[in-house]
Amino acid sequence: MPYFGSEETVKELKRALSNPNVQADRLRYKNYISKVIRSVIQGLDVSTLFMDMVKASATVDIVQKKLVYLYMCTYASDKPDLALLAINTLRKYCADPNPMVRGLALSNMCNFRMPGMTEYIEQPIVAGLRDKASYVRRVAVLGCAKMHSLQPNTEIDGIIVNELYALLRDPDPVVVVNCLRALEEILKDEGGVVINKPIAHHLLNRMKDLDSWAQSEVLTFLLRYRPRSDDELFDVLSLLDSFLQSTHAHVAVATLRLFLHLASAHPAVQADALLCTSAPLLATCGAASRELRFAGLCHVQKVMRSQPGLFSTHYKRFFCGYSEPTYIKFHKMEILVELVNDENVALVLEELSSYCTDVSPELAQAAIAAIGRIARTYSEKCLDILTGLLALKQDHITSAVIQTFRDLVWFCPQSTAAVCQTVEVCVDSPQDSEQALLWLLGEHGEKISSAPYVMEGYVDGLKTELSLAVKMELLTTAVKMFLCRPAETQDMLGRLLHYCIEEESDVCVRDRALLYYRLLQRGVEETRKVVTGPKSDPSMSVLTERQEEPISQWASTFNTLGPLSGHDLCLQTAVISAADQPSNSTEKELLPGSKDVTLSSPNDTEEEISLSLGPPLSHETFEKMWLDLEILHRQTLGSPLPRTALDMLQAALQLVKIQTLAFTPGDTVPWKAYIYTRSTGTLILAELLQGDPQAPGSDESLVVSVKQQPVNQHAIRGFASILKSVLQTLNDDSS
Amino acid sequence: MSASAVFVLDLKGKVLICRNYKGDVDMSEIDHFFSLLMLQEEEGLVCPVMSHGNALNVTLRNERASPVPCVQVFTEYFKELEEESIQDNFVVVYELLDELMDFGFPQTTDSKILQEYITQKGNKLEVAKTKVPTTVTNAVSWRSEGIKYKKNEVFIDVIESINVLVNANGSVMSSDIVGSIKLKTMLSGMPELRLGLNDRMLFALTGRDKGKSVAMEDVKFHQCVRLSRFESDRTISFIPPDGESELMSYRINTHVKPLIWIESVIEKFSHSRVEIMVKAKGQFKKQSVANNVEIHVPVPSDADSPKFKTSTGHAKYVPEKNLVVWSIKSFPGGKELLMRAHFGLPSVENHELEGRPPITVRFEIPYFTVSGIQVRYMKIIEKSGYQALPWVRYITQSGDYQLRTNS
Repeated sequence: MPYFGSEETVKELKRALSNPNVQADRLRYKNYISKVIRSVIQGLDVSTLFMDMVKASATVDIVQKKLVYLYMCTYASDKPDLALLAINTLRKYCADPNPMVRGLALSNMCNFRMPGMTEYIEQPIVAGLRDKASYVRRVAVLGCAKMHSLQPNTEIDGIIVNELYALLRDPDPVVVVNCLRALEEILKDEGGVVINKPIAHHLLNRMKDLDSWAQSEVLTFLLRYRPRSDDELFDVLSLLDSFLQSTHAHVAVATLRLFLHLASAHPAVQADALLCTSAPLLATCGAASRELRFAGLCHVQKVMRSQPGLFSTHYKRFFCGYSEPTYIKFHKMEILVELVNDENVALVLEELSSYCTDVSPELAQAAIAAIGRIARTYSEKCLDILTGLLALKQDHITSAVIQTFRDLVWFCPQSTAAVCQTVEVCVDSPQDSEQALLWLLGEHGEKISSAPYVMEGYVDGLKTELSLAVKMELLTTAVKMFLCRPAETQDMLGRLLHYCIEEESDVCVRDRALLYYRLLQRGVEETRKVVTGPKSDPSMSVLTERQEEPISQWASTFNTLGPLSGHDLCLQTAVISAADQPSNSTEKELLPGSKDVTLSSPNDTEEEISLSLGPPLSHETFEKMWLDLEILHRQTLGSPLPRTALDMLQAALQLVKIQTLAFTPGDTVPWKAYIYTRSTGTLILAELLQGDPQAPGSDESLVVSVKQQPVNQHAIRGFASILKSVLQTLNDDSS
Repeated sequence: MSASAVFVLDLKGKVLICRNYKGDVDMSEIDHFFSLLMLQEEEGLVCPVMSHGNALNVTLRNERASPVPCVQVFTEYFKELEEESIQDNFVVVYELLDELMDFGFPQTTDSKILQEYITQKGNKLEVAKTKVPTTVTNAVSWRSEGIKYKKNEVFIDVIESINVLVNANGSVMSSDIVGSIKLKTMLSGMPELRLGLNDRMLFALTGRDKGKSVAMEDVKFHQCVRLSRFESDRTISFIPPDGESELMSYRINTHVKPLIWIESVIEKFSHSRVEIMVKAKGQFKKQSVANNVEIHVPVPSDADSPKFKTSTGHAKYVPEKNLVVWSIKSFPGGKELLMRAHFGLPSVENHELEGRPPITVRFEIPYFTVSGIQVRYMKIIEKSGYQALPWVRYITQSGDYQLRTNS
C-alpha cells in the first residue's frame, strides 16, 4: 500500500481535513478521519496532521471522538508541544454533562504518554474519583495507576492511595476491582495492595457481583490474606465454596488455588476441593478453544501428581480427536499413561495402538513410548502390541519400538525373555535405533541366538558407519558379547579393535578401543568386573508407581503460566541417562569440604560443572601461564598414583576431558604431572605431585595444585572431585 | 495480571490492528513473534502460550513481556465480526478493544453490554448516544429497563449435540451428549421466569418418580440464573436477557447408541483404483426423521475419475478436502441406505504418507432429544401481569461425530 508517495497521501489528507466543505459534511469528514487512522496502522507517519485532528475532536459523534483520541494517543509522545494544546480541549470535556464524554476524555488524557502530563491530569482524576457516574469512576481509578506509571520514581501520593482504599467499598463492582488493580500497580514497590481482614471479608462478600475476570483476579489477591483462626478459615471457605463449581473454568481454578493455599493444613478439605473442581477442569479439557483445552490438560496433569486416581473414570475424555493439534495429543497421551488401571487398560491400549500408525512420526513414536511406559506394569499385553507393530516394517515405527524395548528391559527385567525373542527378528534395524539394538545385544547377547550374526553385520559395515555413538556402542557390545559368547565373537572383536585402534580417525573411538584392549590384556575376569554391570535398574521395580507428590509441591504455580510453559513436551525419555546417575552422586560424596561453601552459595550447585577439552595448549603457553598465575587451591587427593601404566591414567583422564601435558616417568621421585582442562569459560591448570618432601603427607598420596584463569571456585571444586574419582577408580581396579 | 498490548496479525504476520495499553513494551517486539512462531512450527512444538488462532485466521497474542503475562481468549468478541473482515471494521475493533480493556485490565467483557456501547454499524451516521447505557449501573446488568413488545413471547430451543468416537473395528470408544437450552426472549419489562425440566435430582428431591427423568452433569448457567436457588431446590429461576441468549448447557455421560451407524469398506488397490462402500443405518425411532444428513468419507488425495451409486440422496466429490460428501435430505429412522463409490488411482504412486481421517457425519433430528430431556413448564411472571406464550422446540444434532476407518 502507500509506502511510495506517502507524502502525497498525507498532503491530500491534510487538504481534505482542512476543507470547510468536508468539515460541513459529517459523513465525509469522518471518512477522512478513518483514513488517517488507517494510515497510522499501516505505519505511515501522519503526525503532521495533529492540529487538524485536534480540531476534529470537537464533535458530538462519540465514534469520531474515539478515533481522534486514538490518533492523539499515538502521536502525543512524539509531539508533546502540540499535545499540550489538545489537553485544554480534553480538560474541557472532562466537565461535560455526558458521562460517556467525560469518561472518554479522561481515559484518553491519561493515555498520553509524555513527560509533564501529571500536573494536567491530576486534578481531573481526583474529580473523576468522586464522579457520580460509575463509568467515569472506573476510568479515574485506573487513571491513578496510569499517572503513577508516567513517573514511576516519584513518591507515592498518600492522599490518592487512601482515596483508592476508600473506593474499595464503591457500589460498582468494576470500580472495586479497578481500585485493587490500581493500588497493586502504585504500591508495587511496597509489595502491592494490603489485604487486611475487613478488606478480605468485604471482597468475599462482593464476589458474586463481580464478573468472571474480576472474580479470578480478586481470588488471586485473596491469596495474600491468612485467616487468623480455624473458625474464620472455614467461614471464608464456605463463602468460596460455590465458586469451585463456577461455570467459568478460570474462576473455578482460581478458587481451587485459593482453597489449596488456605487449607494447606487440612488435607481433607484440599481433597474435597480437588474433587469439586474436577468437573470444570474436565470440561476445560474438552473446550472448543484449543488453547483453553491445552491449559486444562496441563492443569489436570498437575492435579494428577497428587491425586492420580481422580480422573481415572474419565479416561475416555483424553482420547485424541483426529484434527487436534499435536501438542494436545502429546498431553493427552501422557495423561492416558498415568490413568491406566486394571479396568481400563484394554481400552486405553487399543486407543494408543491406533495412534502408533499415525502419519506424523513424532506422534507415532510418542504413542509407542507411551505403550512402553504402560508395559512396565502390564507387560504382556503391551509386548503383543509392540511386537505386532514390528510386522509393519515401517522404519520410524520399528526404531521407536526397539528403543522402547531397550527402556523396558532396563526398567522391567522380567520382560527380558520376551523382548529377546522378538529382537531376533529385527536384524536390519533402521538408522536411529542402531544404538538401542546394540545395547540390547550387548546386555542380553546370551539370550539372543542370532546376536553374533547381527553384530557381524555391523562390524563389517564399520567403515561406512558415520555415527560416533554407534561405533562406541558397538565396541562396548562387542566386548560384552565376547564375555558371554567368546567362541563366536573372538575373531570379530579382534577385527573390530584392530580397525578402531589402527584406522579409526576419531580420537574418542580410538581411545575407547584402546581402553578395552588394555582391559582385555589384564585378563577376562578383570574385564568382566569392569564392563558388566547390573542389567536393569534395581531401584525400579514393577510395583513402584510414581510417588504421589504432596499438593504443596505444585499448588504455588497452579493457575499461573507455570504449568503451561514449564512442561517438557517430549514423552520419550532418555532412559540411559538414568544409568549415569550413580556416578554423579558419588562425585558429590567425594566433596567433603564443600558443604559449608554450598550453603553460602546455593546457586553454584545448581549447575553441574562440565569439563571440555577445547583447543590444545602448547607447552610454552602452559609454562608461561603456570608461572604467571597463583595457586588457588591445593588439595591432597587421598589416593596414591595408580600402579597401572601411566598411559592408562592418561587415557582415563582424557575420558573425563582432562588433557595431560607432560609427566615424569613412573618411578621417579618426586613424581609430577601437568594437566589442564576447560570448563564453562575458564581454563584450569593443575599439577599432580607425589613424594614431594616439601608437601606434607605427599609420600603416599597425590597432591594437586590448581591454577585457573579466570577464577571460578565452583569449577575448581568440580574439577578436583572428578580428578579424585578418576584416581580412585583406577586404584580400585588395579588393586 | 495485565496485558501490555494486543496485536491482531494476518496470516503472514503483518499487523492488522494493534493497541498499546500500557506503553511498557516496545511495539516492534511483535516483529519477532512471527518468525518465532514459524520456527516453532518447523520444530513441531507450537505451544498456545505463544499464539492464539481463531476462525478468522487471525493470530491473537498477548504481549508476554509484561511481568505477569496472561493468557486470554478474545474469540468470543471477535466472533461477532466473523463474516466481515477486520480491516473493513477496524473502527469497531478499536472501539471494542478500548472498552474491553483499559490499561491492560479487562473491563466490560459481556458482548451484550458492549453492543449497547458500540453501535455495530460504524459507518452509519447517527447522533451519538447522550447517555451511558443503563446496564452499566443497573442492578440487573444483563437487561435494560423499559423494554416493550407488542406480543410477549419466549422461544425455547433445546439442542442436544452428540459426540461419538467409534474406532476402526466398530466399538464405540466414547460417546456423550452436550445439551444447551437457548432462549429468544421477546418480553416486556422485567419478567421473572421459572423453567421446569425433568431433572432427575429435582424428581428425587420432590419424591416423585413417575415419568422419565434425566441426570445432567456439568450444568452451566447464564449469569442471570440464581445459582443459590438452583443449589438449594434445583429451581431454575431468572430474569432473562433480551433477545437471544444461551440459558444453560449440560452434559450427559450416558452411553448412547450412535444414532446413525456407519459401516464402511474402503478397498485400495494400489496403482489402479479405490472402491468405497458405505452403509448407513438410522438407529432411532421410526417416527423420527434425520434431516440434512451429510456423510463425509475420506478418499486418497490423488484419486481421480469418481463414479457414484447411491440408493438415496446424492454423492459429490470434494477434491479440495479429499472427501466424498454423501448428502441425504431426509433419512427416516430404522432405514438402511447404501452408497458405492469408485475412484481411479494414478499408476505413479504418491510417496507422501497420508493420514487416515475418520468418516464424519452431520445430521439434525427435529422434535426429539436423545437424552429424553423435556421442558415441563415455563412460568412467566411480570408486574404488569401480561400473558406470555412459551414455545418449545427440540433438536438433536451431530457434534463431534467420528468413525475411524482402517484403510
